[in-house]
Amino acid sequence: MAEPAYTVASDSETTGEEKSSSAFPEIAIGIDIGTSQCSVAVWNGSQVELLKNTRNQKLMRSYVTFKDDIPSGGVSYQLSHEHEMLSGAVIFNMKRLIGRVDTDPVVHSSKSLPFLVQTLDIGVRPFIAALVNNVWRSTTPEEVLAIFLVELRVMAESQLKRPIRNVVLSIPVSFSRFQLTRIERACAMAGLHVLRLMPEPTAVALLYAQQQQQMIHDNMGSGSEKIALIFNMGAGYCDAAVTATAGGVSQIKALAGIATGGEDFLQNMMRHLLPNFDNLFSSRGINEIKSMGLLRVATQDAIHKLSFEESVQIDVDLGNGLRICKQVSREEFEEVNQKIFEKCESLIIQCLHDAKVEADDLTDVIVVGGCSHIPKIKNLVKSVCKRELYKGMNPLEAAVCGTALEGAVASGISDPFGNLDLLTIQATPLGIGIRANGNSFVPIIPRNTTMPARKELVFTTVNDNQTEVLIIVHEGETEKADENHLLGYFKISGIPPAPKGVPEINVCMDINASNVLRVLAGVIMPGSQQPVVPVMEVRMPTVDDGHGWCAEALHRAYGSTLDLMTVQKK
Amino acid sequence: MGLKWSEIRCCRNQKIGGKSKSKSNKNYYELLGIPFDSNMLQIKEAYRKLQKKYHPDIAGQEGHEYTLLLNEAYKVLIKDDQRKEYDASIGSMKAKFGSNVSGFSSWKGPLRPQALFVDANNCIGCRECVHHASNTFEMDEALGCARVKVQYGDDDRKIDVSVDSCPVNCIHWVDSEELAVLEFLIQPQLKEGYGVFGGGWERPSNVFMAAKAFTKQLKQQAETAQGQHENGRVRSVEEETPAQAEARVNATMKLNMERFNKIWGKFKHFFII
Repeated sequence: MAEPAYTVASDSETTGEEKSSSAFPEIAIGIDIGTSQCSVAVWNGSQVELLKNTRNQKLMRSYVTFKDDIPSGGVSYQLSHEHEMLSGAVIFNMKRLIGRVDTDPVVHSSKSLPFLVQTLDIGVRPFIAALVNNVWRSTTPEEVLAIFLVELRVMAESQLKRPIRNVVLSIPVSFSRFQLTRIERACAMAGLHVLRLMPEPTAVALLYAQQQQQMIHDNMGSGSEKIALIFNMGAGYCDAAVTATAGGVSQIKALAGIATGGEDFLQNMMRHLLPNFDNLFSSRGINEIKSMGLLRVATQDAIHKLSFEESVQIDVDLGNGLRICKQVSREEFEEVNQKIFEKCESLIIQCLHDAKVEADDLTDVIVVGGCSHIPKIKNLVKSVCKRELYKGMNPLEAAVCGTALEGAVASGISDPFGNLDLLTIQATPLGIGIRANGNSFVPIIPRNTTMPARKELVFTTVNDNQTEVLIIVHEGETEKADENHLLGYFKISGIPPAPKGVPEINVCMDINASNVLRVLAGVIMPGSQQPVVPVMEVRMPTVDDGHGWCAEALHRAYGSTLDLMTVQKK
Repeated sequence: MGLKWSEIRCCRNQKIGGKSKSKSNKNYYELLGIPFDSNMLQIKEAYRKLQKKYHPDIAGQEGHEYTLLLNEAYKVLIKDDQRKEYDASIGSMKAKFGSNVSGFSSWKGPLRPQALFVDANNCIGCRECVHHASNTFEMDEALGCARVKVQYGDDDRKIDVSVDSCPVNCIHWVDSEELAVLEFLIQPQLKEGYGVFGGGWERPSNVFMAAKAFTKQLKQQAETAQGQHENGRVRSVEEETPAQAEARVNATMKLNMERFNKIWGKFKHFFII
């Protein structure tokens, strides 16, 4: 590698203006960083092309090994054997860990991975470390991701023979804004500039829009609106989206996502095969890690085979006299993971409901992602949507192709044949609002609002002569404010003394197409047209690490003295 | 660069009052470039076409404000109940507030029962009226005909002279209540921006007849809406109480104020940044 060291280009404080106005028309590349695999694609002037690494792979495993002095990732590094990945020196599944605190159940479920995920359950970032020469060497998910991104960047630069700066990344629907800033920071560490972050199913939707557009050109078919459901399940996340497509415009009607994926199938199976799995591996010695790795590889293998065979024989020697020899049938696998399948089903139903679309209205049903091979997944989507599945897409490459298309469109590239005559109109995956009326979450921009979006609500004071209010911004869907993600907070001072309920506190939220959120708040006294104090404008999120307990600390310090309540509609 | 306070204020009025729907001078139909009676398909198609032109992915950050308006317009027009309510609201607002909402002309001084209206179908663009009363009339250079800029912008004598000077007698005294509807209907850009095909300039050949039919339609809608909304936010014009008259004057002032704020905001936007 010519450029082993990576530079920290910025502290993710890239503004919306910078994002959309690139001075020179550099085509942004599309990157799909999966929990287990990644890929890079770019618009090559006539179509989307997936880039290959030196080993001729289009899909590369997402991991970074700390075995050598300079960490290297799955783009350049060739594992000697699958078991090497599970030696403790290799960090993977970083997409499940990035931007999460140590009270998060997803972090807890990652504790059974061969590398170290230490939690203290107080709402701070977990401690993550790789085992190198019997030493736990600490790292962070951002660092791991940045190392990997640098490798992808070097690979793309050497093939495209130009410097790469702008990228479009696909992300899971369920990612909070705080997690998005972590992704942006990882990109900044790798010297990359995020042009757009696209929820994975919306990237697939854009590819679908292009395919429909081309079909119309080819067949002179009708250009009527087509409604499609996209279900995307990878190793770490499961997403659904409903898109309405016509004339190359993909309009996202609804989005839904959960942090459940192939990794959960795998862990459930491992616990099924070895019921005292957690006790056996809690000490995490070198031998335990090795046994855990053996079990993991064997189970992974079995799950893959069960997609094509009715039953499979597992025979693995875990050492220490522990041997698993078992016949596993597909029914057994489906039963063990019953809960996951139920979650997937309700996710699709919720997404259809949010989009106000009946199963009969759907034109196409698209299933993509690593888990799309699992027969039960295909069947449950088919039965909910009452449709056969769409066949025109490679399930593992669809998302990255979509990001490459968006990269070209957002870079201002046009195509003489109209293949880039596309547009994706995004929607907000999570509601954004503030804490008011005690500990209630009052959404200002509800979930599935078309972007760019701007909404506002009026609040007022709860105490007489209250001169200050605290605006605490949350993101999520739960009614209690503190159960949602905290994005930031700020105080408005200088409200003229007045009885409670008199000052009008306007809170306006603005999300631009690059998904930058700004919160504005101003105070108006009755009878006046202009704000009494300068309006506050805050880019969110502002919280850094420890956001798990910021809200709690604020509550302890101020009680309800700075609270807000909604204004009753007259 | 940040949002301007005036923008937030507009946003606020829209939420709270539910009246001042138009952040720009255009109503949602004009914004989308579609006729008043468009069906769902036309709305969707127009929305998509405009999005392809103005979405920030394509137009850059400058497209942000416009796209926000498009999204708002689309959200309302695509839902039957919200669209009906909106139709009623622009209808009643026009009748109530005279020209402030979607018509061209503004008022100087208090509302009067009679207002000036130029029937652009007959106007030959001679500029006589502009010459005689330049504070009242102006030329629309794009259309090549005159229109009223400010009602009673000049003194009565000048206005009378200009009305008499029109060689084709296309300047009419109309009821103030009818004015907004007439001005709405005479705008030929109803179909402007509606793609390459089917575009062009369209307006009713007899604007007065069209206005009658339109008002009737609006009244019906308003009545239905009133039945639904007991709060009486949507009222028909005839039954105006003194309190309402006062509210109307206040609202007119508020609208003017808002306009001023907006212009001021834009001014700042261009010269400070």
